[in-house]
Amino acid sequence: MSELFRTHLYEEHVKLGAKIVPFAGWDMPVQYTSVKDEVLAVRTKLGVFDVSHMGEFFVEGKEAEKFVDHLVTNDIATAPMGKAIYSPLCREDGTVIDDLIVYKLAPGRIMICVNASNIEKDFSWMKSKHLGFDCSLTNLSSVFSLLALQGPEAFNTLKMLIPTLPDLEYYSVFESANGSQPLIMARTGYTGEDGFEIFGTHQTIKELWKKFMELGVTPCGLAARDVLRLEVCYPLYGHELNDQLNPYDAGLGWTVKTSKINFIGKNELANKSHKYKLVKLILDKGIPREGYPVLNSQNEKVGEVTSGTMSVALNKGICLARIEIDKVPKDEVFSIDIRNKFYPAQLLKKPFITGGHK
Amino acid sequence: MATQIPANLQYTKEHEWALVEGDTVTVGITDFAQSALGDIVFVEVPDVGSDLKIGATFGVVESIKSVSDLYSPISGEVVAKNTDIEGSPEKINQDAYGSWLIKVKMNNSAETQNLLSAEQYQEFCNSSH
Repeated sequence: MSELFRTHLYEEHVKLGAKIVPFAGWDMPVQYTSVKDEVLAVRTKLGVFDVSHMGEFFVEGKEAEKFVDHLVTNDIATAPMGKAIYSPLCREDGTVIDDLIVYKLAPGRIMICVNASNIEKDFSWMKSKHLGFDCSLTNLSSVFSLLALQGPEAFNTLKMLIPTLPDLEYYSVFESANGSQPLIMARTGYTGEDGFEIFGTHQTIKELWKKFMELGVTPCGLAARDVLRLEVCYPLYGHELNDQLNPYDAGLGWTVKTSKINFIGKNELANKSHKYKLVKLILDKGIPREGYPVLNSQNEKVGEVTSGTMSVALNKGICLARIEIDKVPKDEVFSIDIRNKFYPAQLLKKPFITGGHK
Repeated sequence: MATQIPANLQYTKEHEWALVEGDTVTVGITDFAQSALGDIVFVEVPDVGSDLKIGATFGVVESIKSVSDLYSPISGEVVAKNTDIEGSPEKINQDAYGSWLIKVKMNNSAETQNLLSAEQYQEFCNSSH
Protein backbone atom coordinates (compact mmCIF):
# COMPACT_ATOMS: atom_id res chain seq x y z
CA MET A 1 0.00 0.00 0.00
CA SER A 2 1.36 3.40 -0.93
CA GLU A 3 1.99 5.93 1.79
CA LEU A 4 -0.66 8.55 2.49
CA PHE A 5 0.02 12.22 1.86
CA ARG A 6 -0.14 14.64 4.76
CA THR A 7 -1.01 18.32 4.56
CA HIS A 8 1.43 20.83 6.01
CA LEU A 9 -0.96 21.25 8.94
CA TYR A 10 -0.89 17.57 9.90
CA GLU A 11 1.11 18.17 13.10
CA GLU A 12 -1.32 20.94 14.09
CA HIS A 13 -4.26 18.53 13.74
CA VAL A 14 -2.52 15.90 15.83
CA LYS A 15 -1.76 18.48 18.53
CA LEU A 16 -5.45 19.42 18.59
CA GLY A 17 -6.36 15.78 19.18
CA ALA A 18 -8.03 15.25 15.80
CA LYS A 19 -9.12 11.81 14.73
CA ILE A 20 -7.20 11.20 11.49
CA VAL A 21 -8.53 8.96 8.70
CA PRO A 22 -7.37 8.09 5.20
CA PHE A 23 -9.31 10.09 2.61
CA ALA A 24 -8.57 10.26 -1.14
CA GLY A 25 -4.98 9.17 -0.52
CA TRP A 26 -4.48 11.64 2.34
CA ASP A 27 -4.32 11.42 6.12
CA MET A 28 -7.06 13.93 6.95
CA PRO A 29 -8.72 15.13 10.18
CA VAL A 30 -12.25 13.69 10.24
CA GLN A 31 -13.21 15.30 13.54
CA TYR A 32 -11.61 17.16 16.44
CA THR A 33 -14.08 17.12 19.31
CA SER A 34 -17.63 16.49 18.20
CA VAL A 35 -19.13 16.47 14.71
CA LYS A 36 -22.24 18.12 16.11
CA ASP A 37 -20.33 20.97 17.77
CA GLU A 38 -18.27 21.51 14.62
CA VAL A 39 -21.39 21.68 12.42
CA LEU A 40 -23.06 24.11 14.83
CA ALA A 41 -19.94 26.30 14.95
CA VAL A 42 -20.09 26.75 11.18
CA ARG A 43 -23.84 27.43 11.12
CA THR A 44 -23.83 29.90 14.01
CA LYS A 45 -20.31 31.26 14.41
CA LEU A 46 -17.13 30.22 12.66
CA GLY A 47 -15.23 27.08 11.75
CA VAL A 48 -12.12 26.36 9.72
CA PHE A 49 -11.29 23.31 7.60
CA ASP A 50 -7.90 22.25 6.27
CA VAL A 51 -8.73 21.19 2.73
CA SER A 52 -5.18 21.38 1.40
CA HIS A 53 -5.61 17.96 -0.16
CA MET A 54 -7.64 19.57 -2.95
CA GLY A 55 -5.94 20.37 -6.25
CA GLU A 56 -5.10 23.72 -7.83
CA PHE A 57 -4.43 24.13 -11.55
CA PHE A 58 -3.51 27.39 -13.24
CA VAL A 59 -4.32 28.32 -16.81
CA GLU A 60 -2.50 31.39 -18.06
CA GLY A 61 -2.20 33.15 -21.39
CA LYS A 62 -4.19 34.82 -24.13
CA GLU A 63 -6.65 31.95 -24.57
CA ALA A 64 -7.03 30.91 -20.92
CA GLU A 65 -10.74 31.76 -20.81
CA LYS A 66 -11.37 30.15 -24.19
CA PHE A 67 -9.61 26.93 -23.16
CA VAL A 68 -11.42 26.54 -19.82
CA ASP A 69 -14.74 27.44 -21.42
CA HIS A 70 -14.12 24.62 -23.91
CA LEU A 71 -13.28 22.16 -21.12
CA VAL A 72 -16.25 22.66 -18.80
CA THR A 73 -20.04 22.75 -19.22
CA ASN A 74 -20.75 26.01 -17.38
CA ASP A 75 -20.19 29.44 -18.92
CA ILE A 76 -16.70 30.74 -18.24
CA ALA A 77 -16.10 33.01 -21.23
CA THR A 78 -18.84 35.56 -20.53
CA ALA A 79 -18.71 35.41 -16.70
CA PRO A 80 -17.32 38.65 -15.24
CA MET A 81 -13.68 38.88 -14.19
CA GLY A 82 -13.31 38.09 -10.48
CA LYS A 83 -16.09 35.49 -10.50
CA ALA A 84 -15.90 31.91 -9.26
CA ILE A 85 -17.94 29.42 -11.30
CA TYR A 86 -18.94 25.89 -10.23
CA SER A 87 -18.95 23.39 -13.11
CA PRO A 88 -18.79 19.74 -14.04
CA LEU A 89 -15.91 18.65 -16.26
CA CYS A 90 -17.28 16.17 -18.79
CA ARG A 91 -16.12 13.73 -21.45
CA GLU A 92 -17.47 13.78 -25.00
CA ASP A 93 -20.14 11.26 -23.95
CA GLY A 94 -21.31 13.62 -21.21
CA THR A 95 -20.04 11.57 -18.26
CA VAL A 96 -18.57 13.57 -15.39
CA ILE A 97 -14.80 13.44 -14.83
CA ASP A 98 -15.01 15.78 -11.85
CA ASP A 99 -16.83 18.78 -10.47
CA LEU A 100 -14.70 21.84 -9.85
CA ILE A 101 -14.60 25.58 -9.32
CA VAL A 102 -13.11 27.94 -11.88
CA TYR A 103 -11.75 31.23 -10.50
CA LYS A 104 -11.32 34.09 -12.97
CA LEU A 105 -8.42 35.84 -11.24
CA ALA A 106 -7.44 38.30 -13.97
CA PRO A 107 -7.61 38.50 -17.76
CA GLY A 108 -5.61 35.52 -19.00
CA ARG A 109 -5.21 34.05 -15.50
CA ILE A 110 -7.52 31.32 -14.20
CA MET A 111 -7.26 28.99 -11.21
CA ILE A 112 -9.21 25.72 -11.11
CA CYS A 113 -9.80 23.91 -7.82
CA VAL A 114 -10.50 20.17 -8.17
CA ASN A 115 -11.25 17.22 -5.91
CA ALA A 116 -8.21 15.58 -4.29
CA SER A 117 -9.08 12.12 -5.56
CA ASN A 118 -9.29 13.37 -9.16
CA ILE A 119 -6.16 15.56 -9.46
CA GLU A 120 -4.22 13.19 -11.74
CA LYS A 121 -7.28 12.19 -13.77
CA ASP A 122 -8.36 15.80 -14.34
CA PHE A 123 -4.90 17.07 -15.15
CA SER A 124 -4.12 14.40 -17.72
CA TRP A 125 -7.56 14.93 -19.31
CA MET A 126 -7.02 18.67 -19.54
CA LYS A 127 -3.49 18.16 -20.89
CA SER A 128 -4.89 15.93 -23.63
CA LYS A 129 -7.29 18.71 -24.70
CA HIS A 130 -4.76 21.53 -24.45
CA LEU A 131 -3.15 21.35 -27.89
CA GLY A 132 -3.87 24.38 -30.05
CA PHE A 133 -4.84 26.75 -27.22
CA ASP A 134 -2.54 29.69 -26.61
CA CYS A 135 -2.18 29.30 -22.84
CA SER A 136 -0.23 27.31 -20.27
CA LEU A 137 -1.69 24.67 -17.97
CA THR A 138 0.12 23.99 -14.67
CA ASN A 139 -0.65 21.72 -11.74
CA LEU A 140 0.34 23.68 -8.61
CA SER A 141 -1.46 21.39 -6.15
CA SER A 142 1.75 20.66 -4.26
CA VAL A 143 2.57 24.37 -3.94
CA PHE A 144 -0.74 25.48 -2.41
CA SER A 145 -2.39 24.83 0.90
CA LEU A 146 -6.08 25.63 1.28
CA LEU A 147 -8.28 26.60 4.21
CA ALA A 148 -12.06 26.95 4.17
CA LEU A 149 -13.12 29.53 6.76
CA GLN A 150 -16.86 29.10 7.06
CA GLY A 151 -19.60 30.69 9.14
CA PRO A 152 -21.38 34.00 9.75
CA GLU A 153 -18.30 35.56 11.39
CA ALA A 154 -16.01 34.71 8.46
CA PHE A 155 -15.72 38.14 6.88
CA ASN A 156 -15.09 40.10 10.08
CA THR A 157 -12.52 37.63 11.29
CA LEU A 158 -10.61 37.40 8.03
CA LYS A 159 -10.73 41.19 7.59
CA MET A 160 -8.95 41.59 10.93
CA LEU A 161 -6.05 39.53 9.67
CA ILE A 162 -6.07 40.76 6.07
CA PRO A 163 -7.15 44.43 6.11
CA THR A 164 -7.05 44.70 2.30
CA LEU A 165 -9.81 42.09 1.99
CA PRO A 166 -12.79 43.57 0.10
CA ASP A 167 -16.38 42.62 0.99
CA LEU A 168 -16.55 40.21 -1.94
CA GLU A 169 -19.82 39.04 -3.42
CA TYR A 170 -20.73 35.37 -3.05
CA TYR A 171 -18.74 33.29 -5.55
CA SER A 172 -16.20 36.03 -6.18
CA VAL A 173 -12.44 35.91 -5.83
CA PHE A 174 -9.68 38.32 -4.80
CA GLU A 175 -5.97 37.85 -5.36
CA SER A 176 -3.71 39.71 -3.01
CA ALA A 177 0.02 39.81 -2.68
CA ASN A 178 1.24 38.81 0.77
CA GLY A 179 4.75 40.17 0.31
CA SER A 180 6.04 38.02 -2.52
CA GLN A 181 3.77 35.11 -1.56
CA PRO A 182 0.58 34.45 -3.54
CA LEU A 183 -2.67 34.65 -1.58
CA ILE A 184 -6.05 34.01 -3.18
CA MET A 185 -9.29 34.44 -1.28
CA ALA A 186 -12.69 33.50 -2.64
CA ARG A 187 -16.16 33.82 -1.12
CA THR A 188 -16.82 30.15 -1.68
CA GLY A 189 -17.01 26.99 0.39
CA TYR A 190 -19.05 23.86 0.49
CA THR A 191 -21.13 24.37 3.61
CA GLY A 192 -23.95 26.69 2.50
CA GLU A 193 -22.74 29.33 4.94
CA ASP A 194 -20.97 32.57 4.24
CA GLY A 195 -17.23 32.08 4.18
CA PHE A 196 -13.97 32.11 2.34
CA GLU A 197 -11.63 29.65 0.75
CA ILE A 198 -8.07 30.83 1.21
CA PHE A 199 -5.35 29.55 -1.11
CA GLY A 200 -1.75 30.28 -0.21
CA THR A 201 1.71 28.84 0.19
CA HIS A 202 2.16 26.27 2.95
CA GLN A 203 3.89 28.81 5.18
CA THR A 204 1.24 31.51 4.73
CA ILE A 205 -1.58 29.06 5.39
CA LYS A 206 0.12 27.61 8.46
CA GLU A 207 0.47 31.11 9.94
CA LEU A 208 -3.20 31.86 9.17
CA TRP A 209 -4.32 28.57 10.74
CA LYS A 210 -2.42 29.38 13.93
CA LYS A 211 -4.00 32.84 14.05
CA PHE A 212 -7.46 31.34 13.60
CA MET A 213 -6.76 28.98 16.50
CA GLU A 214 -5.62 31.89 18.69
CA LEU A 215 -8.85 33.72 17.82
CA GLY A 216 -10.90 30.72 18.96
CA VAL A 217 -12.16 29.62 15.53
CA THR A 218 -13.44 26.03 15.77
CA PRO A 219 -11.28 23.54 13.84
CA CYS A 220 -13.63 21.33 11.81
CA GLY A 221 -13.07 17.97 10.17
CA LEU A 222 -14.31 16.20 7.08
CA ALA A 223 -17.25 14.61 8.89
CA ALA A 224 -18.72 18.01 9.76
CA ARG A 225 -18.04 19.19 6.21
CA ASP A 226 -20.00 16.23 4.85
CA VAL A 227 -22.99 16.90 7.12
CA LEU A 228 -22.93 20.62 6.23
CA ARG A 229 -22.86 20.04 2.46
CA LEU A 230 -25.54 17.38 2.65
CA GLU A 231 -27.90 19.60 4.67
CA VAL A 232 -27.77 22.12 1.81
CA CYS A 233 -27.79 19.34 -0.84
CA TYR A 234 -24.45 19.97 -2.56
CA PRO A 235 -23.28 16.92 -4.53
CA LEU A 236 -19.99 15.21 -3.73
CA TYR A 237 -17.91 13.42 -6.34
CA GLY A 238 -17.81 9.67 -5.69
CA HIS A 239 -21.31 9.80 -4.23
CA GLU A 240 -23.78 11.84 -6.28
CA LEU A 241 -21.35 12.11 -9.21
CA ASN A 242 -19.09 9.55 -10.84
CA ASP A 243 -17.51 8.48 -14.14
CA GLN A 244 -20.73 6.78 -15.33
CA LEU A 245 -23.16 9.66 -14.74
CA ASN A 246 -23.85 12.90 -16.58
CA PRO A 247 -24.66 16.22 -14.88
CA TYR A 248 -28.43 15.73 -15.32
CA ASP A 249 -28.24 12.46 -13.37
CA ALA A 250 -27.10 14.51 -10.37
CA GLY A 251 -29.53 17.40 -10.75
CA LEU A 252 -26.83 19.64 -12.22
CA GLY A 253 -28.67 20.57 -15.43
CA TRP A 254 -28.33 24.23 -14.43
CA THR A 255 -24.55 24.00 -14.93
CA VAL A 256 -24.82 22.78 -18.52
CA LYS A 257 -24.93 25.81 -20.81
CA THR A 258 -25.97 24.33 -24.13
CA SER A 259 -26.25 27.90 -25.50
CA LYS A 260 -22.44 28.04 -25.55
CA ILE A 261 -21.01 27.70 -29.06
CA ASN A 262 -19.12 24.57 -28.18
CA PHE A 263 -17.68 22.60 -25.29
CA ILE A 264 -16.60 19.02 -24.66
CA GLY A 265 -19.72 16.89 -24.26
CA LYS A 266 -22.11 19.39 -25.82
CA ASN A 267 -23.42 17.02 -28.50
CA GLU A 268 -24.38 14.38 -25.97
CA LEU A 269 -25.64 16.78 -23.31
CA ALA A 270 -27.72 18.94 -25.66
CA ASN A 271 -30.58 16.41 -25.65
CA LYS A 272 -30.65 16.39 -21.82
CA SER A 273 -31.21 12.65 -21.70
CA HIS A 274 -30.38 10.97 -18.43
CA LYS A 275 -30.96 7.71 -16.61
CA TYR A 276 -31.43 8.94 -13.06
CA LYS A 277 -33.05 11.61 -10.97
CA LEU A 278 -31.42 12.76 -7.74
CA VAL A 279 -33.98 13.30 -4.97
CA LYS A 280 -33.92 14.71 -1.46
CA LEU A 281 -35.54 12.54 1.21
CA ILE A 282 -36.14 13.20 4.90
CA LEU A 283 -37.16 10.64 7.53
CA ASP A 284 -39.00 11.00 10.82
CA LYS A 285 -37.29 7.88 12.08
CA GLY A 286 -34.15 6.05 10.99
CA ILE A 287 -30.92 7.30 9.46
CA PRO A 288 -30.35 6.62 5.76
CA ARG A 289 -26.80 5.66 4.72
CA GLU A 290 -25.06 5.37 1.37
CA GLY A 291 -26.14 2.25 -0.53
CA TYR A 292 -29.42 1.67 1.30
CA PRO A 293 -32.24 0.71 -1.12
CA VAL A 294 -34.99 3.25 -1.80
CA LEU A 295 -38.46 1.73 -2.31
CA ASN A 296 -41.77 2.87 -3.79
CA SER A 297 -45.21 2.40 -2.22
CA GLN A 298 -45.23 -1.22 -3.46
CA ASN A 299 -41.91 -1.80 -1.64
CA GLU A 300 -40.15 -2.26 -4.97
CA LYS A 301 -36.59 -0.95 -5.23
CA VAL A 302 -36.45 2.20 -7.36
CA GLY A 303 -33.01 3.51 -6.45
CA GLU A 304 -30.50 3.92 -3.68
CA VAL A 305 -29.10 6.40 -1.21
CA THR A 306 -25.97 8.21 -2.46
CA SER A 307 -25.25 10.14 0.77
CA GLY A 308 -27.08 10.02 4.07
CA THR A 309 -26.65 11.31 7.57
CA MET A 310 -28.37 12.52 10.69
CA SER A 311 -28.98 16.22 10.14
CA VAL A 312 -27.59 18.27 13.02
CA ALA A 313 -29.88 21.21 12.22
CA LEU A 314 -33.08 19.14 11.94
CA ASN A 315 -32.24 16.16 14.14
CA LYS A 316 -33.69 13.88 11.46
CA GLY A 317 -32.26 11.43 8.96
CA ILE A 318 -31.69 13.07 5.57
CA CYS A 319 -30.30 11.79 2.28
CA LEU A 320 -29.78 12.29 -1.39
CA ALA A 321 -30.90 9.29 -3.43
CA ARG A 322 -30.46 8.28 -7.06
CA ILE A 323 -33.73 7.04 -8.56
CA GLU A 324 -34.00 5.30 -11.92
CA ILE A 325 -35.73 7.81 -14.16
CA ASP A 326 -38.44 5.40 -15.38
CA LYS A 327 -39.16 4.27 -11.82
CA VAL A 328 -39.72 7.68 -10.21
CA PRO A 329 -43.09 7.12 -8.52
CA LYS A 330 -45.87 9.49 -9.56
CA ASP A 331 -47.35 9.40 -6.06
CA GLU A 332 -43.96 10.50 -4.69
CA VAL A 333 -44.23 7.91 -1.92
CA PHE A 334 -40.84 6.59 -0.83
CA SER A 335 -39.44 4.47 1.92
CA ILE A 336 -35.91 3.40 2.73
CA ASP A 337 -34.83 -0.12 3.55
CA ILE A 338 -32.73 0.17 6.70
CA ARG A 339 -31.56 -3.26 7.87
CA ASN A 340 -34.64 -4.89 6.28
CA LYS A 341 -37.10 -2.53 7.94
CA PHE A 342 -38.91 -0.02 5.76
CA TYR A 343 -38.89 3.57 7.02
CA PRO A 344 -41.18 6.15 5.32
CA ALA A 345 -39.25 8.98 3.65
CA GLN A 346 -40.72 12.28 2.56
CA LEU A 347 -39.69 13.86 -0.74
CA LEU A 348 -38.47 17.46 -0.50
CA LYS A 349 -38.20 19.81 -3.47
CA LYS A 350 -35.92 22.29 -1.73
CA PRO A 351 -32.70 21.69 0.23
CA PHE A 352 -33.14 20.47 3.80
CA ILE A 353 -31.97 23.81 5.14
CA THR A 354 -31.08 27.18 3.68
CA GLY A 355 -27.53 28.16 4.51
CA GLY A 356 -26.70 31.74 5.48
CA HIS A 357 -24.44 32.50 2.52
CA LYS A 358 -24.74 35.85 0.79
CA MET B 1 -8.00 10.82 28.12
CA ALA B 2 -8.26 7.67 30.21
CA THR B 3 -11.32 5.59 29.53
CA GLN B 4 -13.49 4.51 32.46
CA ILE B 5 -13.65 0.77 33.11
CA PRO B 6 -15.63 -0.07 36.27
CA ALA B 7 -14.30 -3.12 38.13
CA ASN B 8 -17.75 -4.58 38.88
CA LEU B 9 -18.61 -5.11 35.20
CA GLN B 10 -17.51 -7.60 32.57
CA TYR B 11 -16.73 -6.82 28.94
CA THR B 12 -16.59 -8.03 25.35
CA LYS B 13 -13.91 -7.33 22.74
CA GLU B 14 -16.64 -5.54 20.79
CA HIS B 15 -16.86 -2.99 23.62
CA GLU B 16 -20.10 -4.02 25.31
CA TRP B 17 -20.29 -4.10 29.10
CA ALA B 18 -22.29 -6.70 31.05
CA LEU B 19 -23.51 -6.60 34.61
CA VAL B 20 -24.24 -10.15 35.80
CA GLU B 21 -26.78 -10.41 38.65
CA GLY B 22 -28.07 -13.94 39.21
CA ASP B 23 -29.28 -15.13 35.81
CA THR B 24 -29.97 -11.61 34.54
CA VAL B 25 -27.37 -9.72 32.51
CA THR B 26 -27.66 -5.98 31.92
CA VAL B 27 -25.92 -4.87 28.71
CA GLY B 28 -24.61 -1.53 27.44
CA ILE B 29 -21.67 -0.10 25.50
CA THR B 30 -18.46 1.02 27.16
CA ASP B 31 -17.04 4.47 27.68
CA PHE B 32 -14.32 3.57 25.15
CA ALA B 33 -17.02 2.74 22.57
CA GLN B 34 -19.04 5.92 23.10
CA SER B 35 -15.90 8.02 22.86
CA ALA B 36 -14.81 6.31 19.63
CA LEU B 37 -18.28 6.72 18.11
CA GLY B 38 -18.75 10.38 18.95
CA ASP B 39 -22.20 11.94 19.08
CA ILE B 40 -24.63 9.02 19.34
CA VAL B 41 -27.91 9.82 17.61
CA PHE B 42 -29.73 6.51 17.19
CA VAL B 43 -30.03 3.21 19.03
CA GLU B 44 -31.91 0.14 17.86
CA VAL B 45 -32.31 -2.81 20.23
CA PRO B 46 -34.57 -5.89 20.05
CA ASP B 47 -37.99 -6.09 21.67
CA VAL B 48 -38.67 -7.93 24.90
CA GLY B 49 -39.04 -11.64 24.18
CA SER B 50 -36.37 -11.73 21.46
CA ASP B 51 -33.81 -14.53 21.61
CA LEU B 52 -30.16 -13.56 21.56
CA LYS B 53 -27.15 -15.69 20.72
CA ILE B 54 -23.75 -15.06 22.18
CA GLY B 55 -21.54 -13.16 19.75
CA ALA B 56 -24.39 -12.43 17.33
CA THR B 57 -25.46 -8.90 16.43
CA PHE B 58 -28.56 -7.76 18.28
CA GLY B 59 -28.87 -4.11 17.33
CA VAL B 60 -27.04 -0.99 16.24
CA VAL B 61 -25.71 2.24 17.63
CA GLU B 62 -25.37 5.10 15.18
CA SER B 63 -23.39 8.29 15.44
CA ILE B 64 -23.92 11.16 13.01
CA LYS B 65 -21.57 9.62 10.47
CA SER B 66 -21.39 5.90 11.31
CA VAL B 67 -23.29 2.71 12.08
CA SER B 68 -21.92 0.14 14.57
CA ASP B 69 -23.35 -3.27 15.32
CA LEU B 70 -24.01 -4.40 18.88
CA TYR B 71 -22.87 -7.93 19.80
CA SER B 72 -24.56 -9.97 22.46
CA PRO B 73 -22.26 -10.87 25.34
CA ILE B 74 -24.51 -13.79 26.26
CA SER B 75 -27.26 -16.10 24.94
CA GLY B 76 -30.75 -15.72 26.32
CA GLU B 77 -34.05 -13.88 26.14
CA VAL B 78 -34.49 -10.11 26.26
CA VAL B 79 -36.55 -9.35 29.37
CA ALA B 80 -36.31 -5.56 29.31
CA LYS B 81 -35.16 -2.77 27.01
CA ASN B 82 -34.32 0.79 27.93
CA THR B 83 -36.86 2.82 25.96
CA ASP B 84 -35.52 5.95 27.63
CA ILE B 85 -32.22 5.53 25.75
CA GLU B 86 -34.00 4.96 22.44
CA GLY B 87 -35.58 8.39 22.95
CA SER B 88 -32.40 10.10 24.16
CA PRO B 89 -29.41 8.18 22.76
CA GLU B 90 -27.05 11.07 23.61
CA LYS B 91 -27.25 9.90 27.24
CA ILE B 92 -24.80 7.15 26.29
CA ASN B 93 -22.18 9.83 25.56
CA GLN B 94 -22.84 11.43 28.91
CA ASP B 95 -22.83 8.24 30.98
CA ALA B 96 -22.07 4.99 29.18
CA TYR B 97 -22.37 2.79 32.27
CA GLY B 98 -25.55 4.47 33.49
CA SER B 99 -27.14 3.93 30.07
CA TRP B 100 -28.05 0.28 29.85
CA LEU B 101 -29.62 -0.97 26.61
CA ILE B 102 -31.18 -4.35 27.39
CA LYS B 103 -31.52 -6.93 30.16
CA VAL B 104 -31.12 -10.57 29.16
CA LYS B 105 -32.16 -13.71 31.01
CA MET B 106 -29.22 -16.08 30.45
CA ASN B 107 -29.70 -19.60 29.05
CA ASN B 108 -26.31 -20.81 30.09
CA SER B 109 -24.41 -19.13 32.89
CA ALA B 110 -21.21 -20.90 31.83
CA GLU B 111 -21.03 -18.42 28.94
CA THR B 112 -20.04 -15.64 31.34
CA GLN B 113 -16.61 -17.24 31.44
CA ASN B 114 -16.05 -15.86 27.94
CA LEU B 115 -16.41 -12.30 29.16
CA LEU B 116 -13.38 -10.15 29.95
CA SER B 117 -12.67 -8.81 33.41
CA ALA B 118 -12.13 -5.08 33.84
CA GLU B 119 -8.39 -5.70 33.94
CA GLN B 120 -8.44 -7.81 30.77
CA TYR B 121 -10.59 -5.25 28.97
CA GLN B 122 -8.24 -2.44 29.98
CA GLU B 123 -5.36 -4.41 28.52
CA PHE B 124 -7.37 -5.07 25.36
CA CYS B 125 -8.15 -1.35 24.92
CA ASN B 126 -4.51 -0.42 25.44
CA SER B 127 -3.29 -2.94 22.88
CA SER B 128 -5.88 -2.11 20.23
CA HIS B 129 -4.92 1.57 20.12
